[in-house]
Amino acid sequence: MAIPVIMPKQGQSVETCIITKWFRQKGEQVKTGDILFSYETDKAAFDFESAADGTILDILYPEGAEVPVLANVAVIGSPGEIIEATKTSDSVVAGKEERAILLPGPEIGNHDEKRQIPVPESGAGRIRISPRARRVAEKKGIDYSKIRGSGPNGRILCSDIMNAGQEAYTGSPLVSNGVDEFTDKPLTNVRKLIARSMHASLMNSAQLTHHMSADVRGLLEARRRIKENLSAGRAEQADITLNDMICYCVIKALSRFPEANSHFLDDHMRIFKSVHLGIAVDTPRGLMVPAVRNADSMDIVSLSRSLKSVADDCKKGSIDPELIKSTAASFTVSNLGNYGVEMFTPVINLPQTAILGVCTIINRPADLGNNTFGFVPYIGLSLTYDHRAIDGGPATLFLREIKKEIESFTL
Amino acid sequence: MPKSQNINPEDVRRPQFIEFGRIPVNQYNLTIEQEKKNFTTDDFVRIYHDMVIIREFETMLNLIKTTNEYRGISYNHPGPAHLSIGQEAAAVGMAYTLGIDDYIFGSHRSHGEILAKGLSAIHKLDEDNLYNIMQHYFGGKALSVVEKGFSGSVKELAVRFLLYGALAEIFARENGFNKGLGGSMHAFFTPFGIYPNNAIVGGSGDISVGAALYKKINKKPGIVVCNIGDASMGCGPVWEGISFATMDQYTKLWQGEYMGGLPLIFNFMDNLYGMGGQTMGETMGFGILARIGAGVNPDMMHAERIDGYNPLAVIDAFRRKREILEKRRGPVLLDTLTYRISGHSPSDASSYRSKEEIEAWQKVDSITTYGEQLAAAGVAKTELLDEIRSDAGELLAHILKLTVSDEISPRLDLISDPDAIGSMMFSNQSVDRMDDRKPDVLMPMEENPRVKSIKTKERFHLDSEGKPVSKARTYQLRDGIFEAVIDRFYKDPTLAAWGEENRDWGGAFAVYRGLTEALPYHRLFNSPISEGAIVGTAIGYGMCGGRVIAEIMYCDFLGRSGDEVFNQLPKWQAMSGNLIKMPVVIRVSVGSKYGAQHSQDWSSLVAHIPGLKVVFPATPYDAKGLMNSALQGTDPVIFFESQRIYDIGEMFHKPGVPEGYYEIPLGEPDIKKSGNDITILTIGATLYQVLKAADILQGKYGMNAEVIDARTLVPFNYEPVIESVRKTGKIVLASDASSRGSFLKEMAQTVTELAFDYLDAPPVVVGSRNWIIPAHEMETYFFPQPGWIIDAIHEKIIPLKGHKSGSDLSYEKSLKLNREGV
Repeated sequence: MAIPVIMPKQGQSVETCIITKWFRQKGEQVKTGDILFSYETDKAAFDFESAADGTILDILYPEGAEVPVLANVAVIGSPGEIIEATKTSDSVVAGKEERAILLPGPEIGNHDEKRQIPVPESGAGRIRISPRARRVAEKKGIDYSKIRGSGPNGRILCSDIMNAGQEAYTGSPLVSNGVDEFTDKPLTNVRKLIARSMHASLMNSAQLTHHMSADVRGLLEARRRIKENLSAGRAEQADITLNDMICYCVIKALSRFPEANSHFLDDHMRIFKSVHLGIAVDTPRGLMVPAVRNADSMDIVSLSRSLKSVADDCKKGSIDPELIKSTAASFTVSNLGNYGVEMFTPVINLPQTAILGVCTIINRPADLGNNTFGFVPYIGLSLTYDHRAIDGGPATLFLREIKKEIESFTL
Repeated sequence: MPKSQNINPEDVRRPQFIEFGRIPVNQYNLTIEQEKKNFTTDDFVRIYHDMVIIREFETMLNLIKTTNEYRGISYNHPGPAHLSIGQEAAAVGMAYTLGIDDYIFGSHRSHGEILAKGLSAIHKLDEDNLYNIMQHYFGGKALSVVEKGFSGSVKELAVRFLLYGALAEIFARENGFNKGLGGSMHAFFTPFGIYPNNAIVGGSGDISVGAALYKKINKKPGIVVCNIGDASMGCGPVWEGISFATMDQYTKLWQGEYMGGLPLIFNFMDNLYGMGGQTMGETMGFGILARIGAGVNPDMMHAERIDGYNPLAVIDAFRRKREILEKRRGPVLLDTLTYRISGHSPSDASSYRSKEEIEAWQKVDSITTYGEQLAAAGVAKTELLDEIRSDAGELLAHILKLTVSDEISPRLDLISDPDAIGSMMFSNQSVDRMDDRKPDVLMPMEENPRVKSIKTKERFHLDSEGKPVSKARTYQLRDGIFEAVIDRFYKDPTLAAWGEENRDWGGAFAVYRGLTEALPYHRLFNSPISEGAIVGTAIGYGMCGGRVIAEIMYCDFLGRSGDEVFNQLPKWQAMSGNLIKMPVVIRVSVGSKYGAQHSQDWSSLVAHIPGLKVVFPATPYDAKGLMNSALQGTDPVIFFESQRIYDIGEMFHKPGVPEGYYEIPLGEPDIKKSGNDITILTIGATLYQVLKAADILQGKYGMNAEVIDARTLVPFNYEPVIESVRKTGKIVLASDASSRGSFLKEMAQTVTELAFDYLDAPPVVVGSRNWIIPAHEMETYFFPQPGWIIDAIHEKIIPLKGHKSGSDLSYEKSLKLNREGV
């Protein structure tokens, strides 16, 4: 009888898992204990071992798909068996629901293409690689997951890596005398996720960046007053930062340019009615982008509080996993102004369609009127947008709208 | 068999009867009055005193074990204490006449014997010598403890030293006689002539024979007393020891001053029980143990049963027996009847004997009876005897207090020095000769026929023109061993060699051919077919200070010497607190062609036992150099040789095996062929199969193998192997040992651990099948063949283009074989 393969529930709070890799394909023979696929939650990665012997009759979710826990992801049985009964209902198939992908996998957009599996038919699922080959691969930065091993049972041997390295690796060896001049550090899970999503973003979208700057004399004046009030000990005064003010301006601008407040989903655009503002936060575990949901309904004080709260949660590691999915936000702000960055090209957090990079403030000569020139503080704004979703004209107008909001900002 | 003795059929086929003489049983019948001419009053009282000390010592231990308290001092001793309450007269009588040159060996129940021997030695030594011994024993540490605040005489001090050293040893304290590493059943103190007790029943039965051989062969003064229990008469090694000790050759073939019997008394402390089994009436059939002597040799071993409940009867017997030994008519068998009032151990519920029986023996208690006799004969007043008893109690309480204090008597500190015991496993010395005399030899070495013949041999397997040398002209592996051995015989006067067919035959495999001409009997002789005793006597010989080569003709016979090889040889250096050395080389020949019980490679078994060095050379150059090192050292070495390659010539060391002396350090593997693609580590003769495999790998598959010969199993320097694996990433390990539990598995595991990140495949072991070894014609299905090595590489390490594997090395097959245990 055909047996369904069920996505396990990893922990109480986990509702969905992402299939990161299928090690076995439809039609292949598998044995109990063979690793069928790997999957991950926002916190950890797991391998799924087959609990039955048989043939994979069907695979119901492609790599990269986010799957509700306890959903049926594949069917194992004898060839020719009827598998209808075990098929999962359409409603839970990824893509029909909101594509709740934390950080999109490299497979986004081309699920249907069969990937070459590095493990030959006789292998037991996981990547078989000798310790020596693994060591050399890591040293040379070669991704061995796609290499076909030539050793017994398809084990990847050192020579396989060297052969692969001749194609992929063109630099000269860093090591000449056998003494390691560097240390190899395995990637953390978060790092892997970031790497995959950033790479996927650049590979799978058409992004470009416009730069503009905005006069922030009003903003700086407002900030000065807030600081004054704070140092005078006025309890009612919230510590509203420049970033809070800029986010506030962005939210306002977004309400006028809803096409930037959107997700690009291959065949359709999803325009959000509310602004769910993503904010890039540096944490010890790496970059995280929590969302402040319904930010357009907040006044500046509660926006300030919410931004601070999600940033703190990320740093503490207590952030609600739902909020750090790339689908949780409709638009993202990444502020590098504190670090003195004058201009940059932020990378879009797919499937969002745009991201605003906020740069440092530079005093620039400006016409103060009456033929008087003086130095005016300008903040740099770098808007990266996905040209698939938005054209250059509207993007520029949107950026100009942000500039306008900033320049006319008052508390 | 020597040609000098003809066996005439007319003589041996003549009808006759074997006549046995009479064996005296309890014939001593002198009174104290009659003994006054042999003993002074002091002597009489001293005998009493020594018995009381032992009684109190054992009583104290009994109370500690059963109540955790003695005279208000609390202590818990979890370790063993096999007490000899009741056997004091036997112990004191045994030791009374012995000097410090006389050695005693003991059993698990020998506290009384070592105290008696110690007290006897203290009485006989002058104060300067006595103090000197105490002062220099482990830096005088134990002495300083008992000396503190003590103002009595040196002899009184020495008694305290003896009791403290023994008790500290029993309680595993560093001030014990053996740093607490021997313990109750193994305590000994060689400066007083006290050699090891032995926790294995009958363990001293052959070791003591080796000690007697040491005295005889090296003309050392003194006799040897082997104190073992009556139940050990059931042990093979005891019978083997007796056989070894009573060989005809001592009186018929050994020459000149070496002619004559061994200076040895097998003194059976016959307490009538072996644990709970009654030797008389239940577990043995001799009735009276002394009867055994009648069957051993025409002298009936001068056997006698004596009353071990009367110290004077025992002393009388030892005086008479010593005269026999001095006339070189030993050995002697004494059946010293005694009784153990205490249990086998403190947990003994005496379920195997009646209360009435114990009470009957208590009624004739040796100390009480002897005391009453002394009082009755007017030798000592009762008050004096009582005072001796109460003094003993106070003395023991004082000693106990010192011993149980962790400040005064700490244990070895394994926290600050975690290697303290490890560093004592081997003595690791380099000693040319164990004594300075001129070695006894029969001719100058250069006149020896074998030496002359070797001179004409080609010391490399190819001649000067690069052509293979014929077997007859080749310097062979057996010549390499011979050269090392004869060299040492001419250097070290203590070196002696024995085993089966060692002399006229020249060793079963002609390694010793030529030694018979060079050496007198007492340095090279044939042993009985007694593998246990061949090794056991070597142990006794070695621990007394002699160097020895014992030979086990076939590795398969090693099992016959299991206790000696596993329990005795490896233990005594560390259990002595590293005081004694064990310069013993056991040559073990690994056979072939003769099937299941004559072809096994058991090197893994001995390598498993801590305390043995294990060597297995495969080339003439290595055999000579490693034998030189083994014979230069002071540690036990099991030296494996392979019968497959005794005739092999030197193929690696150019220009050939050096004529002079050289050493190859134990533990260094040797690269026999260098290569970059795969490492093959071999043990023993398998080297040559592997070299064939390496040729095939190179020729057919373009794979350049690096072949490393382990040469030694223990110790082993892994660095060259790791270095090779770092280069090649692949390793096969091969030897003729059956693969399950083979030492190769140990090596494979260690390589995995030390070079994991460099491995391109798991280390693969190619060993023999886990079968009986079939007949020679089927051996290629059993022992590793070159093709097996190729198959293993192809199947488990890296597929070889175009290779078709002839072996099933599949996952399923491996599981199946393991599941089935074959």
